[in-house]
Amino acid sequence: MGVIEINKLTKYYGKSLGIIDIDLEIEKGEIFGFIGPNGAGKSTTIRTLLNLIYPTSGSAKIFGLDVVKDSKEIKKNIGFMPSEVNYYDYMRVRELLYYSARFYGKNCDERIDALSKMFSLDLNKKIYDLSFGNRKKISILQSLIHKPKLLILDEPTSGLDPLMQAKYFEILNEENARGTTIFFSSHVLNEVQKLCKRVAIIKDGRIIKVENIENITGKQFKKIKLDMKNIEQIKLLNTNEIYNMSNNENICNFLYSGDINNILKEISNMELNNLTIEEPTLEEIFMHYYQ
Amino acid sequence: MNLNLYMKDFKRYRISLIGWCVIISMIIFVTMSIYPILMESDAIENLKMFFENSFMKTIMAAFGASVDSITNILGYYVGNNSKNALIFGNIFSILLSSRIISREENEKTAEFLLSKPLTRYNIFISKFLAYLSMLLIFNIVLVLSGYISLEIFKNEDYSYKAFFIISFYSFLSMLTFGMIGMLISLLFKRGKAIMGISIGIIISCYFIFAISNITESIDVFGYISPFKFVNSDVLNPNYGIEWWRVSYFMVLSTISFVIAYIKYKNKDILI
Repeated sequence: MGVIEINKLTKYYGKSLGIIDIDLEIEKGEIFGFIGPNGAGKSTTIRTLLNLIYPTSGSAKIFGLDVVKDSKEIKKNIGFMPSEVNYYDYMRVRELLYYSARFYGKNCDERIDALSKMFSLDLNKKIYDLSFGNRKKISILQSLIHKPKLLILDEPTSGLDPLMQAKYFEILNEENARGTTIFFSSHVLNEVQKLCKRVAIIKDGRIIKVENIENITGKQFKKIKLDMKNIEQIKLLNTNEIYNMSNNENICNFLYSGDINNILKEISNMELNNLTIEEPTLEEIFMHYYQ
Repeated sequence: MNLNLYMKDFKRYRISLIGWCVIISMIIFVTMSIYPILMESDAIENLKMFFENSFMKTIMAAFGASVDSITNILGYYVGNNSKNALIFGNIFSILLSSRIISREENEKTAEFLLSKPLTRYNIFISKFLAYLSMLLIFNIVLVLSGYISLEIFKNEDYSYKAFFIISFYSFLSMLTFGMIGMLISLLFKRGKAIMGISIGIIISCYFIFAISNITESIDVFGYISPFKFVNSDVLNPNYGIEWWRVSYFMVLSTISFVIAYIKYKNKDILI
């Protein structure tokens, strides 16, 4: 039984589609990435898991409990970090964190002090006076102080400087080593690559791929650049496993996901000025899914 | 109920509550302090002729008062009560109730709150009880201010029973409008324009009530307005609690409360 089990989850906002037939299972102790373009349905999925919105059909369970009926019980062991950071401006940082901690019935004083020092967050400041980056730090702290079993993070590092990002990844890895499952959505593919073992790609409300990161990065795709004597030779490429092809004069760029021997046989029939085969960046791979 | 949430909301609105209590106390004290001056001078006799004018009688009827009533200390208090308790008090109540839940969405703190281990019921009840506590405090201040002012400025005995009954009716009207305000705030997406609508409801209902008092032929239309159910005929020897009026307030409050809860329970919280 996974920590998160999503079964045919669908959400319509009136007639507009949010998400449709989402099936996902996240195992205990995983760091699972959830990526997709804007409006793909990432936040809709997360908000449904947290019972901020109700599903149109389908179901989801966290810790084996239904996300709608047992929402309160589930949330005792969840730390959520939203993408937007909105808190009570009239409160001081310390006041908000203590207020947050009291909901879990735990004494989190030491953890609040330790984490605030680590992230250089002044607990005595009024939230109204804080920058976006510092409010983001509040968001990090309030998701971690009660030592949850599951972290749900929506765009966790936006607004953090590189030093804070590094500290945050360190914390996340420590939490994961402790057994915490992490489910996070992100646009920053670099951090997805650093942290996650598995990733789901969502587009237009549907999951289009769930894959191990190492299968996506390097092992499957190659980035090929052909500098041809005559661009008409492009017709000699007959394979279906070519993606994101772009041509500029006599130069053709594309991603190839098939057997390298097959494409080399086809290329060997061409007259070339130059040939480049390299590992694509994660952005280049995922752009293929985003389009 | 969640005590953490209740205390947070109570503290959040306490400055506003103190402000309203101070203002209403001052208004009551100042208006009551004029009474002995009116009685001691010839002003009231001179004013009687002025108030006998049919136009002025109409105006006074609209506020539930008459020349004879304002020459009695309790009648004078109730004549002002229309303004103080019914209008100000109900505006305080509806503004508080319409904001206490919807503000979380307006200010986008709902995502933070709903990610905590709370049911929608926990949140709704905690906020309702915070609102009710503040309403009770406001009414205690209102009653104490009225009572102290009456005792200081009275020139004759008055019916304590009638005073507490009219205060009770005023409280019921505030509670009812409060529940209506809470319901309305949940009917609108993201709680926009609630303040204007809330005040508009109070003013409109008071206007309907006032117009209906002018003449008997349109008296029945006044019952559209909850204000009509506040019996301000305190000088009537038979003045007492009429349970059909109390039932009206309780039923309307309860229906609004239940519908508001159902709406909140099933609402998608969209930030």
